[in-house]
This record gives sequence, structure tokens and C-alpha cells, in this order.
Amino acid sequence: MDLNNVLGFPILTWSIFLPTAGAILIWLFLKNDTAVRWASLAVSVATFLVTVPLWLKFDNSTAHMQFEEFHPWIEAFNVNYRLGVDGISMPFILLTSLLTIICIVSAWDCIKVRVKEYMLAFLILETTLIGVFAALDAMLFYFFWEAMLIPMYLIIGIWGGKDRVYATIKFFLYTLGGSVLMLIALLAMYFKAGQTFDIQALMAYPFDFDWQFWVWIGFFIAFAVKVPMWPVHTWLPDAHTEAPTAGSVILAGILLKMGAYGFLRFSLPICPDASQYFVPFIVVLSLIAVVYISLVAMMQEDMKRLIAYSSIAHMGFVTLGTFMFTQQAVEGAIYGMISHGFVAAALFLCVGVLYDRMHTREISAYGGVVNVMPKFAAVMMLFCMANVALPGASAFVAEVMVLVGTFSADQLYEMVISSKWVAVMAATSVVLSACYTLWMYKRVVFGDLEKAEVKAMPDMNWRELGFFMPLILLVIWLGIYPLPVLDVMHASVANLIDQATLSKLPAAHALAQAEMLQHTVTH
Amino acid sequence: MTPMNFPLPNVVPLLPEMFVAVMGMAVLVLDMFLPKGRKVLCGYAALLTCIIAGFLSLQVGTSEPVPAFYGFFVLDPFSSYAKLLIYAGTALSIILSLDYIKNEFGEGEYYSLMLFAMLGMMIMASAPNFVTLYLGLELMALSTYVLVAFQRDVLRSSEAGLKYFILGALASGVLLYGISFLYGVTGSLQFTTIGAGIAHSGSGAHFAVLLGLVFVIAGLAFKVSLAPFHMWTPDAYEGAPTPVTAFMSVAPKVAGLVILIRVLVDALPSLQVEYVTVFSWLAVLSMAVGNLAAIAQRNIKRMLAYSTIGHVGFIMLGVIAGNADGYAGVLVYMTIYLFMSMGAFAVIVLMNREGIQGELLDDFAGLSKVRPGYALAMGLYMFSLAGIPFLGGFWAKYVVFIAAVEAGHLYLALIALVFAVVGAFYYIRVVKYIYFDDTRVAFDFVENRLMQGTVAVTAVAVVAIGIYPQPVINICKAALGGII
Repeated sequence: MDLNNVLGFPILTWSIFLPTAGAILIWLFLKNDTAVRWASLAVSVATFLVTVPLWLKFDNSTAHMQFEEFHPWIEAFNVNYRLGVDGISMPFILLTSLLTIICIVSAWDCIKVRVKEYMLAFLILETTLIGVFAALDAMLFYFFWEAMLIPMYLIIGIWGGKDRVYATIKFFLYTLGGSVLMLIALLAMYFKAGQTFDIQALMAYPFDFDWQFWVWIGFFIAFAVKVPMWPVHTWLPDAHTEAPTAGSVILAGILLKMGAYGFLRFSLPICPDASQYFVPFIVVLSLIAVVYISLVAMMQEDMKRLIAYSSIAHMGFVTLGTFMFTQQAVEGAIYGMISHGFVAAALFLCVGVLYDRMHTREISAYGGVVNVMPKFAAVMMLFCMANVALPGASAFVAEVMVLVGTFSADQLYEMVISSKWVAVMAATSVVLSACYTLWMYKRVVFGDLEKAEVKAMPDMNWRELGFFMPLILLVIWLGIYPLPVLDVMHASVANLIDQATLSKLPAAHALAQAEMLQHTVTH
Repeated sequence: MTPMNFPLPNVVPLLPEMFVAVMGMAVLVLDMFLPKGRKVLCGYAALLTCIIAGFLSLQVGTSEPVPAFYGFFVLDPFSSYAKLLIYAGTALSIILSLDYIKNEFGEGEYYSLMLFAMLGMMIMASAPNFVTLYLGLELMALSTYVLVAFQRDVLRSSEAGLKYFILGALASGVLLYGISFLYGVTGSLQFTTIGAGIAHSGSGAHFAVLLGLVFVIAGLAFKVSLAPFHMWTPDAYEGAPTPVTAFMSVAPKVAGLVILIRVLVDALPSLQVEYVTVFSWLAVLSMAVGNLAAIAQRNIKRMLAYSTIGHVGFIMLGVIAGNADGYAGVLVYMTIYLFMSMGAFAVIVLMNREGIQGELLDDFAGLSKVRPGYALAMGLYMFSLAGIPFLGGFWAKYVVFIAAVEAGHLYLALIALVFAVVGAFYYIRVVKYIYFDDTRVAFDFVENRLMQGTVAVTAVAVVAIGIYPQPVINICKAALGGII
């Protein structure tokens, strides 16, 4: 087996299992809460440092998998421990390892009970998240994808808010219910494609249209729940609202991206014809997410709930871009995910800062915060602007790319309505996100300082400023100079679009299919 | 007239059975000589019996089927592996009993009954013939009836025992009735001869064969608590002493499933289309009844009873698949289920001192704050039972699902997965009590090293198999030597 790994060192295995190894050591040997905090921080920083070479040694010129590793795992079912990253998955691994550090720092003071369990849950969660992005074997992917449920269930359930039990059980069952359909799809493909779970082999196998159709639906349900797409989004506002701050950060920052990543890794390359077929369907759901969910967000009285709905709306942008099959749109979607990972995380941290002082998330409980917390007001202003996708912020780059990519998608295929109109409708998101974000900012930060509790709020301390700093730098850097990140993706995205636009069907069949598609479209 | 040639039967394959039978009686004798208060030694003797029987089974085990007693007994890898699971299940139940049954009336007989029940299962696992099957089954059943009703002063225990006995006797009758049809058509009680006889019987006998099939399946389905023959399970589970519940949740199920597979493969192969239909309905019904009814339970023993019904429904996917992967899947599933179920019951017994505490879900509230170790173990069992990865329960479900998909039963696998999600709800609800809720009642734990060891070993096994299931799968595949 020829492995493409320039480092000659199992860097992905280290990235995946270092957090768990650290967690086990902490579990066995540390008792004191402060020691646990510092040790967890050390483990997460070490993991981040281990993942940095993935970026530094990454070869931008190729779409091939890099840093590959291969070990047989369960020979009876040809399930292998096969790892590797390309330009699509690599940025997410860095995003995960960076956000985990921020999560651990942000929980420093506000988690006071069961500190050890909390830190262990986050470190184990990091293992499963990196595992999802590094897996090149479908069963290994599923293994990490599902294992993620256990720490997340505990994080929301133990350290969450008032209705945490309802929220976490809903989250667990929704996600599990979606994923089992993916499992059936994987098992069906396994036998069809000659007993293999190798993702690259599945990408190459010519499934006929009926297979693609059903497998695509199986995948779609799993990924749509995770993204989440309207109408299976209802777990997200509850989970986000009740989760502790760091839980919301990881949910918005990474977990939602797993769904969209699934579309890019499985749906598009494995079922290209079905993906083409379902484009109108995805476009409609995405537009509903963008327009309707934005309106819902506007009416929220709870800050976290508002940001949760805003996440759904932004992910609608991402799914729209993903299914446009143009270089710009897909790159914009991935860029949007990375950007949203920072912006949404930062907004949740902002709410967390307020919550730690007031213990309420009601917008109406605040007002005039700028008078007592000027530093905080400046930071929150920056991230609100980023959420609105103002030029200079990372989200701007992403949204422009998705809109341009969507606008030019007509050259590739026909849709019910011109993709230009789709772009126009999606662009309303820019206005709507400004409405709900800035209105929330106005009600919380500006206005008269009337409430006694608000008057007593101290401004941010150094630790809080500390975890915002990297986010501020990254959001601005990615907004001004996106090239380094885009360069990483180019080759992989180009390859993905080749795979997704090249029919797997025999030529005659493909023609008939296209006619049938035309038929259904025109009627 | 020459004297009849009457060679001594080959007794070597039966060494473990003989040993267990002798020890069962020896424990009874030991009981007579031990003073009150020291009778726990009977328990240790029974425990030792299980371990030695395990060594004996490994010693006499063969890779080829070895018939003995003129075809009334067969030793093959399939039965040997099943027996190892039965020993493990019994041994762990005995460990759970040591403290629980201490100073109860008839403490010594208790362990003797356990050994005889185990002997019955061992005979079932090795039966190539309906007579042997029935002997083993009745020995197991009669011993278990008494064990369920063991706390004779506790109303619900005697009630459970009586209920189990009446329904069990009915099921045995149904089984015998079915056997009589098969015998009527083929003139034999030997599985393989019946199989050949049915294949050559004319269409006139088809109806009688079908009746035989249905009644035999009904009789065996009762023993493995497949819905709609599950009615006794929740009551027997709830009423029985908790270690007996633990015992019933694994070992008899192993014996029942193993003999079910053997009957289907050897005696009824030409009726595969018919029995797949029957089992598909039973499986779906079991998954539905088990997983839905479990949601409504407040008593954890009763909840686990319905959970067993649901799990047997999942296991049936392997039987329905009817291929090597499916039968191996049944063994893999039972192996992993052994650890999950025994571990969960061990935690329940550890929390149980004055008879009832630790049986209601509410009693688990806030366990994680008092005993993080038990809480972690119980959490792992529950997530494992729900089938979440990095725990063994995931691969247990996976092996039977993949076998079902391989055999083309995609819809059945789909239905099963839906019920797996429904089932996840009540498992994670237990985790909710343990981790999310505050302590309500003062905990009172049994401090017993052996039991704590059981919890630790089963928890580690659940995680280890979850991370690297390959060895278990290989062993179970190798164990199919006797039937395929």
C-alpha cells in the first residue's frame, strides 16, 4: 500500500488520539480542579500544535489525499483505519483544534461544578470531531460521527440551562435518527460496490441512478439534520440555548459543519447524478432557511436562540453554495463554514460573557451595556458586523463567493428558475441578517443605562479578552486576505466538481435521465 | 445367537456436563454439612464449578462435530462456544448472588439449582435431537421456575414464579405438540433425519409440516421471549431476585437461540421461506413491543425485561439472514450482550440492600455524584445497549444488520434501525437520571470486591470490544464449524 504521507509520521492519529490520551491521564492522576484546567489547556494546545504541520506541510497543488495512514481494523467486514486529508477537510481539523482551546479557556471560571468531567468530555469530543474530518473509511467516519453524541449529550445535559434535559434528549434522538439512515445507505453501498467502505473506492464506483437516488436520500437525512436544514432544524435552537457557552461554541463552530462536510465528502462525489437531480429541492430548502429562518431570528427574545437561528440561516447559504457545482460557490460554501465557525463561536462567547455576569440571556434584561463595558461593546460590535458580512470580515468573502458562484451556475445546468433569481433571493439574507443582528446589538448594548444589575457589570477581564483575540485576528485576516485558505482548497474543490458533474451513468442512460429531468422540470 | 454388541458410549464429549451434574449434587450435600451462616461456601463451590467446566469444555472441544450416545448428543464448536457463554453468564450471576442471597432460606439449594439450570442449557446447546432438546429445556425451565420464586415470602417473587411456571408449562406443551407433527411426517426425532424427511415428503404432508414448524417456533420463541410470546418476561424479571433476573437475561437466551438455529438449519432447511416470514413478523413485533413498552417503565428491572425483548428482536435479524455472517452475528451479539446486561445488573445489585432500593429509575438519580465509578460503568452499559459507537453494543447491532442487508432484507434492517432509535430514548433516560439529576435518596451500597470486579471487567470489555471487535467476530465465525 503506497501511502502519501510527506511527514512519515502518523500525524493524523496523533491529532485524533492525543486529546483522549490526555483525558485518560487527567482522569487517572489529577484531582484538583485548577490542575485539571491547566492540564486540559496543555493537552488542547499540544493537539493544536500537532495539527499545525498539516497546514504547513500541505501540498496545495494536488487533490490527492495527504498524510495518509492505513491499518486493517475489522477484517471480517473490510473496515479499515484509513485516514487522510485534502483541501476540504484539512481546514476543519485546524478549526476544531483551535476552537477546543478557546472552549477550554472560556470555561475556566464559569464552570464550577464537575470541572474534571467537563474537561474530559471536551477532550474526548475533540477526538471524535477530528476523527470525522480525517476518516477516509466510511465506517470509521460513521464511528466517530456517532461517538460524538456521547460527550455532547453529557455536555448539554450536565452543564446546560434550565431545560437542558429536554434539549439534550431531543438533540440526541434527532441526530441518531438521522444517522441510522446513513448507516443503512452505507451498508447497501458496501455490498453493491464489492464489499468496501473505502470512500475513494465508493467515489469511483458507478452506481446506477436508482441506487444513487436512495443512497442520496439516506445521506441527505443524516446530513440535513446535522447542518441543520429546514424543516429538521428544530433541535438546534433548543440545544444551543440550553448548552453551556462552550457547548454552543463547539456546536455552532464544528458540529454543524460536519453535515455540510458530509455533503461534500459523500453526497456530491458518490451520488453525482442524484445530487444534480435534487438541486431544486436543496435550493428551495436553503432559501427557506435563508429567508424564513432569518425572519424567525428577528423575533427572538433570547440572545442565544437568536444566534442559533442566525446559524441556521447562514448554513442555508452554505448548502446553497454546495449544490451549485461551481468552483466559486463551493469554495464560498467551505469558506463560509470556516468563517461562521469563528463568528458564531465568538457571538456565543459574547453572550457567555454577559450571561456569566447577569445569568440571563433575555435581550430585554440588558440595555446600555456600552456604558459599563466599553471593551466588550467594541468586541461584540466587531463580531456582529462580521455576522452581517460587512466587507473586511471573513463572512463577506464567503457570501460574495457563494452569490457569484450561484449567479454563474446557469451555464452548467438548467433549473426550475434561473439561478440568477436564486442568487437574488439568497442576497436578501444580507439585509435580513443586518436586521436581526444589529437590532439585537442595539437593544443590548445601546440605550439608556437603567437597570441596576447592568450598572454593576464589570468589563471583560484579561482572560476573556484573551480568548477573543485570536478570533478577532482570524476574522479580520480571513476577511482581508483570504488567499492562503482558498489556495488550500482550489485543487480539491476542482476535483470535487469534476466528480460531481461527471455522470456515473452509461452515456445513453445519462441522456435519457437528462431528458426525464427536463421533463419533470418543465411540467 | 451372538451376544448383542453393546459398546460403551463415548463419554468424553460429555465430560463438562457430567462434571456439572456431579457438582450440582455435591453442592446439595455440602449444603447439608455447612452450618448456617457459612452456606455462602456453596456459592463459591458453584462458581468454581463454572470455571472448571469452562476449562473442561476448552479441553474436550473439537473443530469437527463429534456425535455421542448414538446421535443423542453432539459436541461441535458451535455448542462449545455457546457453553462458554452460558458458563460466563452463570458464573457472573453467582457472583451477584453471593451477597444478595446470603442467609436467605435455602441458600445452598439456590446454587445447586443454578448449576442444574446451567446443565439444562448445556444439554440444549448440544442437542441434535428433539428428545435431548426437550430434556435440557425442561431441566433448565424447572430449575429457573424455582429460582424465580426463590424469595417465597415476597409476594411478587412467588407470583412471578407461578406465572412463569404456568406459561412455561404451556409453552413446553406447545413445543411437544409441534414435535409430534414433525415426528408424524418423518418418523424421526433426529434433526438431520427430519430435515431429509421433510425434503422428500409429498405436498400432502405440507400442512402438517407447517403446523409442526409453527408450534416448534412458538415453543422456542417463548424461551427466548420473542413477542408475542413475551408476556411472562416483564413479570418474571421484576419479581425474581435481581441476580436471577441477570441470570435469565443472558444464559437461557444463549441456549434458546443456539438450539433455535440448530433446529432451523438441521431440521427445517427446506422451510426457509416460511420460517423467514414467521420470524420477520416476530422480530418486528418484538422490537416494537420491547422498545415501546420499555419507555413507559419506571422500574429498571422491568425496563431491562422489555429491553431484552427488543434485543432478541434485533438478534433475530441474524437468524433471518440465514447466512454464516448472520449466525456468527447472533453469537457476537450474545457475547457483547452478556457483558452489557451482566454489568447493568451488577450495578443494580450493588445498589440493592434492603430488597427494593435501586430498582426504580428514580433511585439512580444523582448516582454520578456519589459513586462516579458505578455511574460511568452504568452510563457505558446504557450507551452500549443503545448501540452508540466506541462501545460494544454498536458492533453487536452492526453485525446482525450487515448480515440482514447482505441477505437482502433491507426493509427489515430499516425497521430495526428505527426501533434502535426509539430504544435509545429509554437508555439515555437512565443516563439522565445518573448524570443530570440531583441525589434524592441516600445511597446504600453493597461493598463486595467480586461484584465491583464484575462491574470493572464488564465495563472494560464493553469498551475494548467497541474499539477492537475483530477478535470476538473471528472467534464467533470459527464457532460456526458445527452447523455450516
